[in-house]
Amino acid sequence: MSLLSISVKPNRFTAWVLSWFLFAAGISLYFYTAQKRHQENPDDRVVPTLAQLGAGLYQAAMNPDADEEPASDAAGQSALERFRSGMLWKDTVASARRFFYGLALLFPAVLLGLHMGLFPYFGTFFLRFILFFDKIIALSVLPILFIAFGIDELSKVMLIVIGVTPTIILDTFNLTKSVPPEQIVKGFTLGARDFDVAYRVVLKRIWPRVLNSIRLNLKPLMLFLFAGEMIASTDGLAYRIALLRRHMGMNIIIPYVLWVALLLFLVDLTMRLLNKRLHPWFREA
Amino acid sequence: MKLRPTLLFSVVAALCLPLAAQKPAFTVGWSVYVGWNPYYYMAKSGIMQKWADKYGITIKVQRFDYAPSLEAFVAKNIEACAMTNMEALDMPAAAGIDTTAIIVGDYSNGNDAVLTRNGVTFKNLPGKKLLLVEKTVSQYLFERGMAMNGMESQIKRVHLVNTSDSDIAAAFIADTSHEAVVTWKPLVSQILKTPGVTNIFNSSQIPGEILDLTVVRTDVLNRADGSGQKFAKALTGAWYETMGLMSAKGADKVLAAIAEGSQDSLQSYKEQLSTTHMLFTPQAALQLATSPEMKQKMTLVKTFCFNHGLLGESTKSMDEVAIRYPDGTVEGKADRIRLRFEKAYMQAASDGKL
Amino acid sequence: MVPGSITERASAPAMLDAEPAADLLIRLENIHVSYELADGSRKKVLDGIDLDIRRGEFVSVIGRTGCGKSTLLRLVLGAETPTEGRVLADGREVVRPDRDRGYVPQKYSLFPDKSVIDNITFGPEVEQFSLLTRFTPGFYGRRREFRAEAMRQLRRMGLHESDANKYPDQLSGGMQQRVAIAQALVMKPKILLMDEAFSALDPGTRAGMQKLIRQVWRETHTTVLFVTHNIAEAIHLGTRIVVLAKDGADSCGSKVALDLTVPSDLDEEFAKIAGRVEAAAGHSRLDEDE
Repeated sequence: MSLLSISVKPNRFTAWVLSWFLFAAGISLYFYTAQKRHQENPDDRVVPTLAQLGAGLYQAAMNPDADEEPASDAAGQSALERFRSGMLWKDTVASARRFFYGLALLFPAVLLGLHMGLFPYFGTFFLRFILFFDKIIALSVLPILFIAFGIDELSKVMLIVIGVTPTIILDTFNLTKSVPPEQIVKGFTLGARDFDVAYRVVLKRIWPRVLNSIRLNLKPLMLFLFAGEMIASTDGLAYRIALLRRHMGMNIIIPYVLWVALLLFLVDLTMRLLNKRLHPWFREA
Repeated sequence: MKLRPTLLFSVVAALCLPLAAQKPAFTVGWSVYVGWNPYYYMAKSGIMQKWADKYGITIKVQRFDYAPSLEAFVAKNIEACAMTNMEALDMPAAAGIDTTAIIVGDYSNGNDAVLTRNGVTFKNLPGKKLLLVEKTVSQYLFERGMAMNGMESQIKRVHLVNTSDSDIAAAFIADTSHEAVVTWKPLVSQILKTPGVTNIFNSSQIPGEILDLTVVRTDVLNRADGSGQKFAKALTGAWYETMGLMSAKGADKVLAAIAEGSQDSLQSYKEQLSTTHMLFTPQAALQLATSPEMKQKMTLVKTFCFNHGLLGESTKSMDEVAIRYPDGTVEGKADRIRLRFEKAYMQAASDGKL
Repeated sequence: MVPGSITERASAPAMLDAEPAADLLIRLENIHVSYELADGSRKKVLDGIDLDIRRGEFVSVIGRTGCGKSTLLRLVLGAETPTEGRVLADGREVVRPDRDRGYVPQKYSLFPDKSVIDNITFGPEVEQFSLLTRFTPGFYGRRREFRAEAMRQLRRMGLHESDANKYPDQLSGGMQQRVAIAQALVMKPKILLMDEAFSALDPGTRAGMQKLIRQVWRETHTTVLFVTHNIAEAIHLGTRIVVLAKDGADSCGSKVALDLTVPSDLDEEFAKIAGRVEAAAGHSRLDEDE
């Protein structure tokens, strides 16, 4: 049977090898290119070698930002202390704080979508406007954003919120609307009041899908966070990348990019496991 | 039959194509800035074409945003580029690309400025936030301003907020809790329209330190067939012809055409020119390029770049990125020359030998 | 000849006046239901329905597909309002679904996010404990009671204790409907509304469910409104059969075409005849549907 047909069943070993193949190919290609470029020009900064990447990662992780005032007891710090005062950790904490504020503000959005889907007056009041607002590209109205929220932490979190909440609201609204009406009627016939139906019947039931929707929006959330940090910031992962771009510090940028990918992966994984644990009855992945 | 003429034509055309492509082709990249906007006019008016034809080469004039132009130059996608002396050190030179500055076009004479509101001065800046594009001439200007006001030791106590140049004007105007900003024209002019904002320091107080250059990759200049040198000559010739037109009588027409390239008005462009010390003649350029002051100022710039890791994180000392001056003196290790100032082409222009 | 007679009569208000008012549970007065179509024309679903349901009746509502029998049920349920006319329950107008009228739909009858036992305790818990009081210590004590009662209902429906912690998607169709009935009955509603509740089940399971609901009705004396399109099921289960049909073209609404009482000894007569047939055929037990 042809390898490319639908009916084949790859064995586990083959599947494992295949799934890592592109990684291996990409990494080999990268290091081959790096080596070639460095032969021509030992000072090349665009495609750093493994040693340079390692050095860049170590420096970012262990040394503080060059523009900051050095800690008074810098000499006597342990490895962990150095890591915690290093550039990478401080940038991570700064970005993570904004990320989680933005994430937390998604939950009121879920409630809004829920109420819009269930309570007709609520729905007609908000739906048209949110459909419109969803189409406004937040980045293009930055001057208005600055006037309303300044350019510090609040505006960065608000940029995330404005960018991502309409999607979450509309998604939750649709999920609410797709609950079979028999279920809602059932709720009433069992003595539930309006809010009971909203929270104990509908929300409980759509919650795993809502969590999946939020998981899917983690990347856009990160994108807006990055946009905010690249526009005006004093710290953060994207801030650092923007700075390093100015003089092609790829030996630090590449580790940063991989670090961000790892963090995003971990957040997504945590949410997926949490979803599974909280909602064992939910069959779709 | 009918097919034959078409066939004959195609064959002849196909044979001609390689001939046409055999002319050496070069690209010069530029971005919107008062000192580099003349490139737009050079392309549009046909001056560049004229000089390219004179030397039997093809020159393409390509517009970029500033950072992408630097990246294209480092990636060897373009052979020449307009950039400041600071970027020439940070980007190509520190990345190991031997670069030669063949034209010193101008220096910023007030185009870059430090603006504050509420009467903030350098003395009370420590502890406050400063909006700027970090690791650029803006930060250099700020540090020079602090140094010249005796506040060098307090530089690190100012909180720098890295703000992208496309939003810095809107951000400073809208958010009044930020009291200081460093940027360049025309953003400076926009911001100064806001009441209560003053210009406390600008590049006219550090003349000659922020230079605008046209640089070419040294390996291009050294090409065996001499085409690189032809390229440099054509560029220089076209440049000074344009400079001549800009400084002659009735230059307004030319200036208006240049301003058009960046969607600017003639008035606005002239206003920017007023704070730019253009070196309109090759003689003026030569004088600056061969002066001892220039060496001192380049050292200041290089020190700044080194202190901020802009010469490369792993660069251990300033000498690793060496500069060669027109008189042959080298600052740094002789085997690590990465940036050269070449007067030959400006000299040729001055002597009328182009 | 089948002894007993099938009396055919249209619903006559005069007859009903003779009965005590307390016996009257549901009254539909001059019900018209129509709605507007996309092209602006009006489609009539129910055209002048008058119906009374007395306590303790098992009313089978039957008709072709699209004849409006589900609409009728939904009117009694309170999920739909008539274009003209009123629906009264115990003398009060029905405006929304509530705990007095239990509901077993054909599909989506259970909450998928709750286990079987939680589905059944849902009603009692929700009725007595609001979102706020749900987290008071008093709740956890009562919950034990609710769960005990739920287990009793489960067993009465023929389910096993091991099924209590399963989720609805782990149960077969028949078992799900059993739980749905238990869930509705635990609230002791005045009337149980069943909308084609067995139509999605296979014939074997269906027969079992029919036995079950008849038994439950006898035991609890709940009033039942049972919508189906299966004639045999309607006659076998109901004490009264209401047939809805359109009077003419498709665009007309349905009226009550027939409203007759099923003889109470129908089952006995059926069993007698079945016994005689069995005996005559010479098998000890004829093949029965499960």
